[in-house]
Amino acid sequence: MASHGHPPKHSPRRRQFVAGTGMLALAAALPTLSLAQQKTINVGVILPLSGANAQFGINSRQGIELVADEINAAGGIKSLGGAKIKLIVADSTSAATTAATVAQRLITQNECVAILGAFASSLTLAISEVTERRGVPLLTMSFSDQITGRGFKNVFQVVSKGSLIGKCQFDYAVALASGNQKVNKIAIVYEDTAYGTSQATGLRDAAKAAKTEIVMDEAYPLGISDVTPLINKLRNSGAQIVFPVSYLNDSLLIIRTMRQQKIDMPIVGGAAGYVIPDFAKALGEYAEGVLSIAPANYDLGPQYTERYRKRFGAFMVHEALEHAVCMDVLAQALEKAKTTAPDGVREALRSTRFNGGWTQAMTGGAVKFDDTGLNTLAEPVMVQWRKNELVTVYPKALAKGNFIQRKAV
Amino acid sequence: MQLLQALIDGLLIGGVYAVISIGLTLVFGVVGIINFAQSQFLMVGMFIAFFAWKFLGLDPLFGAVLAFAGVFVLGALIQKYLISRVLKAPEVSQIFLTVGLLIVLENLALIVFGSEFRSVQTAYQTSAWRLGGLMFNVPYVAAFAVSAVTGLLIWWVLKKTWWGWAVRATSQDVMAAQLVGISPARVHQMAFGLGVGLTALGGSIILPYLTVSPTIGDQFGVLMFTVVVLGGLGNILGAVVGGLAVGMIQSISSLVMPIQLQNLALFLIFILVLAVRPEGLLKKAS
Repeated sequence: MASHGHPPKHSPRRRQFVAGTGMLALAAALPTLSLAQQKTINVGVILPLSGANAQFGINSRQGIELVADEINAAGGIKSLGGAKIKLIVADSTSAATTAATVAQRLITQNECVAILGAFASSLTLAISEVTERRGVPLLTMSFSDQITGRGFKNVFQVVSKGSLIGKCQFDYAVALASGNQKVNKIAIVYEDTAYGTSQATGLRDAAKAAKTEIVMDEAYPLGISDVTPLINKLRNSGAQIVFPVSYLNDSLLIIRTMRQQKIDMPIVGGAAGYVIPDFAKALGEYAEGVLSIAPANYDLGPQYTERYRKRFGAFMVHEALEHAVCMDVLAQALEKAKTTAPDGVREALRSTRFNGGWTQAMTGGAVKFDDTGLNTLAEPVMVQWRKNELVTVYPKALAKGNFIQRKAV
Repeated sequence: MQLLQALIDGLLIGGVYAVISIGLTLVFGVVGIINFAQSQFLMVGMFIAFFAWKFLGLDPLFGAVLAFAGVFVLGALIQKYLISRVLKAPEVSQIFLTVGLLIVLENLALIVFGSEFRSVQTAYQTSAWRLGGLMFNVPYVAAFAVSAVTGLLIWWVLKKTWWGWAVRATSQDVMAAQLVGISPARVHQMAFGLGVGLTALGGSIILPYLTVSPTIGDQFGVLMFTVVVLGGLGNILGAVVGGLAVGMIQSISSLVMPIQLQNLALFLIFILVLAVRPEGLLKKAS
């Protein structure tokens, strides 16, 4: 006779059997359950939304939002059952170590199919180490040569390399000036993080190849608050053209201080701070006629870029445009891959030539990544400020307006 | 000639460093607390001046008065309700409070104002006067002029007015001051308000040549402490000397070194001075 303390002999095994079958059935049903419920695809967006690069981060985020909203309004990713893009935005701040931590946290807490970011090359480099370790694709418009130069498999850069941009900055400037005078002496001034250093290398090499003398070649710290010593040196250097590579604050300081010292040499900026609306807003008439190299420009694809102006009230800066292209490329890759698994997405990104959609607004009219992750179809353009708008003036094949010699002040 | 130019530039910018730092040293000398949040009041002052320019059309040099007044009141309130509670507490609590204040102010500003950089446009922003072969950067000269006037005013207040004597008395001996009828609490409030108000004024006079954003304080934080410790903590004349010295060191070092090493030269000299004379260049005196 069984006493109260002892459970009946066959019950535990039977209970276990029922429980086990039940769990098996549930497990089998789960994938179907989750697929049916998977209506969103998480896309991580890491940008500097505070600190020195905040303005650029905000512009970039707006570009991504514009395209993500367009895609969702058109029905989401059709090959994945109309799944909608969900942007998980995080502030990398303007410090590289924080950026890496933020990336780590974002990837761990959310199942992101890819990461877009982080505008500044120094931040992107830090984040790329995290994404490479975790095997998550990273799409970026940062262009320091190091980004595609480390043999990483998960980095996809939609613009030309920094050294090429620097080379074009010099070559195009000389081509534009060649009608008026021979360029013998130039000055290079650049901020000292990965962006400035990379582009300065391109400038330097191009100048050396053209046998032009570099009479001043100075780096300065990013957060500089007083450029007077720098501009004093520039004034005494005898340069004919100055090629500054700066973010926003430093670009304003440099232009203003040059004006104070009545230095009137042509300025050929290096993108970033020199092609953002705040540049013209802060400098007013002193921005007119300033040249800059840019990885892309909005007047090359107005049927797309004017949508940005309509929604956000300012012209589509190149970082917003390039991030928009990143988002569209990712969406097209997801359509093609028919999966959100990293391997599939990466494979689609690597092997496809992306045309259609926003890729047409990019220089080259399409996007194709090579083995290092570089978009080989992109080419830099020279733009000039005209009445607070940026007009592409070189190469001639892409130019939307003529280069105008700035009047002496 | 280049040396002379560098000296002048250094002096001009040194004047601004001085005005920004006097506040910090005053707070330490009178209230007895190291205010780690001091640089955030610079940011607050800068924002007040920016909005005064934007909505009232006030040139930042005049907006500086508004900034001073606004932050003075803010500072007095902070002293009355927050700082006074930790004056008798261990230093660790004081550090926590002011560092916490730093974080709160910066992030409140980020929430309220956003992180965009804003810039003012003034008529003299891009002018410089030429004398002989030398350039005088007009915004710098204007800022220096306001700093000098402010410095002289502070000196006059502390040396010649009853209130200034009250402040000096409190910093010398609180008990004795109480015995002659001075209210330390009142003096502390006024001193703290004055200290942070001065830094705010410094922030607004540099607005013509810098851009304002919630994180601008970080750029000046370390500099302020360097100036104050170099000149002698608690010594107002020391802050002036320290400010001018820092400005000139930065400027002259750029003649012989790449500009990136500007601060390296500064800190090397700073360490040397402290090694030889730990109390700073000028001994503590009210």
